Amino acid sequence: MIPLVAAGAVAAATALILAVAADAPSGAREHRNREEARAAAALYELPGVAEADVVALLDGRARIVAPEAGGFGPGVHAYRAGALEPAAWIAVEPRGEGRSWPWAASLFALLGALGMAAWAGAQRLAPPRPRFPAAPALFCAVVFALVAVAAQQWARGELEAISASRLTGGLRAAEIAGASGADSEAAARVAGLPWASGAALDEPDRIWTMPREVGEAIAADARLRTAPRYTVAAGGAAYHGGSIVLPPDRPVRAGSPDDTLHLVFLGYEETASPAVALMASALGSALLVSLVLFLLPLAARPRALSRTLAAWAFLTPAAALLVVFTFGPLLFSLWISLHHWSLIDPAHPFAGLENYRALLSDGAWWSAVGNTAVFTLHVPLAMAVALSLALLTRESRRAVRWARLALFLPSITSVVAIAVVWKWLLNDGYGLANRALGAIGLGPVAWLSSPDVALVSLMVIGVWMVVGYQMVVFQAGLAAIPRVWYDAARVDGAGPWQRFRHVTLPGLRHTLFFVLVTSVIGSFQVFGLVYVMTEGGPLGATDVAVYHIYREAWEFLRFGNAAAMSWVLFGVVFAATWLHFRFLERRSAHA
Amino acid sequence: MTREPRAVVLKGIRKRFGDVTAVADVDLEIRPGELMVLVGPSGCGKSTLLRLIAGLEERDAGEVWIGDRCVDDVAPGGRDVAMVFQSYALYPHMTVAGNLGFGLRVRGADTAATEARVNEVAGVLGLRGLLSRRPGQLSGGQQQRVALGRAMVRDPGVFLFDEPLSNLDAALRLQTRDEIAALHRRLGTTMIFVTHDQVEALSLGQRVAVMDHGRVQQVGTPHEVYRRPANLFVAGFVGSPPMNRLPVVRDREGRLAGGPFVFPGASPHREATLGVRPEDLALAVVAPPDPGSNPDFTATALRVESLGSEQRIHLDGPGDAAWVARAPSALHVTAGDRVAVSVAWERTHLFGADGGRIGAASRPVRGSRP
Repeated sequence: MIPLVAAGAVAAATALILAVAADAPSGAREHRNREEARAAAALYELPGVAEADVVALLDGRARIVAPEAGGFGPGVHAYRAGALEPAAWIAVEPRGEGRSWPWAASLFALLGALGMAAWAGAQRLAPPRPRFPAAPALFCAVVFALVAVAAQQWARGELEAISASRLTGGLRAAEIAGASGADSEAAARVAGLPWASGAALDEPDRIWTMPREVGEAIAADARLRTAPRYTVAAGGAAYHGGSIVLPPDRPVRAGSPDDTLHLVFLGYEETASPAVALMASALGSALLVSLVLFLLPLAARPRALSRTLAAWAFLTPAAALLVVFTFGPLLFSLWISLHHWSLIDPAHPFAGLENYRALLSDGAWWSAVGNTAVFTLHVPLAMAVALSLALLTRESRRAVRWARLALFLPSITSVVAIAVVWKWLLNDGYGLANRALGAIGLGPVAWLSSPDVALVSLMVIGVWMVVGYQMVVFQAGLAAIPRVWYDAARVDGAGPWQRFRHVTLPGLRHTLFFVLVTSVIGSFQVFGLVYVMTEGGPLGATDVAVYHIYREAWEFLRFGNAAAMSWVLFGVVFAATWLHFRFLERRSAHA
Repeated sequence: MTREPRAVVLKGIRKRFGDVTAVADVDLEIRPGELMVLVGPSGCGKSTLLRLIAGLEERDAGEVWIGDRCVDDVAPGGRDVAMVFQSYALYPHMTVAGNLGFGLRVRGADTAATEARVNEVAGVLGLRGLLSRRPGQLSGGQQQRVALGRAMVRDPGVFLFDEPLSNLDAALRLQTRDEIAALHRRLGTTMIFVTHDQVEALSLGQRVAVMDHGRVQQVGTPHEVYRRPANLFVAGFVGSPPMNRLPVVRDREGRLAGGPFVFPGASPHREATLGVRPEDLALAVVAPPDPGSNPDFTATALRVESLGSEQRIHLDGPGDAAWVARAPSALHVTAGDRVAVSVAWERTHLFGADGGRIGAASRPVRGSRP
């Protein structure tokens, strides 16, 4: 029983890794097939291209049928110039290439399974002790790492082959297009990829969709002008490039300096690098087998086993939610921050710490951080107000209860609603605030449109928003202070201020700390107010960190930068919280 | 401690909480240097009275005098009193030294003087090694000493203790009780001590004020309170096990009679209660009868509690209610035995219908015969 379960766990784990490895190139294959169909359709749409050319391009795997006929394999509609209805459906039969097998990874997997079988056999001779079997677990982890590395090497080779075959196909398509008299732009489009250029590659605006690093590496490569085929390694992937000379009788576009069409094809980074998935699956496999190895000794004690399993079953939903919606995205954003990552560009080349380095010299970002820090200054003010209110509303009279409710309302109101209302109140021309000022003879204040005032206005609203919540927390903290401390202090001769200083404040220490930390964190994450009221303006005066990150990601589509900013912000908040802890712990040790 | 001890005088003190009268027209004088114990069941107003003296509660009527001034309009801190609370009320965020010195610091004493005084008091109480600890790191007994020390540091005219021993375990309670008594001898300060434990009250107090329902029922030395209880409440509250009682009524001949007893002489009281302390009963086993004895009544032993040094014997008489007798442990009695009981009549009490003490009962003309 026990050896069987252990061997089964190892088999399942290795199968998982191999399946992940085998699946890595399939996305790239699919992508290539779609591209081939698109290139065939683009070729078909060019004037002067014969249907035979289209079929020849794909070695007879393309079929041109009536638009509604559909067909086998991937396909696209082709349109003739000026028509709204498709002229044809071009279907492409997927390449029937013989798939290789990750032999090395399989060999490691086999060795691992044999090793586990040997261990299980030994267990049979000497019954297992009820503790975690560390040595077999380590062995499994090593085996899975080897399997993963070997599988990754295999997958990398597969992807490179696909990437190279795409270049071949693309160059042929461009050649056919050129032969039919298309210009270099049209030929590039037919070749099916944006990373083709009829111009020199060192023109930055022509290679904009390419990661700068890759473009620069290609442009700097001396083989560009001489070799018809070359490979550039950049950002952890291999990029295949090639060039063809278009026929001289093509209609030359004005300003085109060169009759050579350079094509560069995406490396395999365009599909997720197999390394990550494989490492994750290897880690998952090691965990899985560790789990089995941990549970196996318990199998001898069914009640302990069932209790353990029940406990884990109860933990699983919460843990799964945490992993999927908290830790997963967290680690994914860390991953993104190490890459050049644009939403519209399929390539996400590795950038290392470059995004972080770029942040160091990004004045707008630091200005946003500075604004956030200034905005955070509203927290101590809010706490002072909230504490005063909590002390004032200590007794429970009817009026006091209503006042408490009124003060708490902003905490349960939507930020957007609050922001919209305040935006109207503080409107320069017809806002209630300026009307009221005008009624007592004071000039209007540019609450939200002056760079000097806007952030202060937001801080005041911030105070108003959080004061109710803080007050309720302080009331709970005050209620927890024993009355007898106040009695003792009064008998000792402490006046109201001394009682506040020596009894109330120390008694509220943990409450104050809780409110301070949560409010500071909340203040660092301020977004809704800024988004609705000022959109970071005027002149960036209210551009706070989270809003800046939002714009970096969703307006400028620089997800890598945005993720790096998020992590810098996380570091700042973490450091601030840690300092709070340290400071207050030291304080309380010497109070 | 060179301070002149102060007297505390309460004149017609009244305090109500809503509909509840906590303290009703209490007049009480505590002499300078005296250790006065306020004792009573919970809810009798003794703690409220203490808090009124401290100024922690506002009185509804009456005057509080401490020393030669009326302190009714003086804040607690200005009344020259120090208080030790049941829960000690130590400030958990301060060290022992911080707690001890708090009363001096808030009055603006300079650091060196505070430190010297704290050290002095800590030396007296054996707290020197604990000065840098926090209350949370101390045992209950140590916390109690710190609370005591915090009161001593200011060298007040009056010490107020609000059940300071009730959070201690039995052994520590005895020890601390002795220490407080020793402290009182040493300091000579006026002390007012509130407790619900009558043993504590009798053993500690120079005088004891027994309270019930917000009123002082009796003030006197422990001996007076025990031997001449002013009324039925005091008689029942003070002493353990409590005083035995027997209702008596006037018979046709004008004599008080109840159970087996008929008391000689005409009585002006229609009904009364006979009270006899358990130790004022002398027991003898009936069979074989002791020819020289002339017992006042016989009863059956229902239950015998042996306490080691003595035993408590629960009897089924003389009236309808059971009586308890204290007997030396040498007496051999088991449950079910018939016992002959003699009463020390000169130490008995008769209480009138209003509960007040009339006097001792005289020897009855007729008792039951064995």
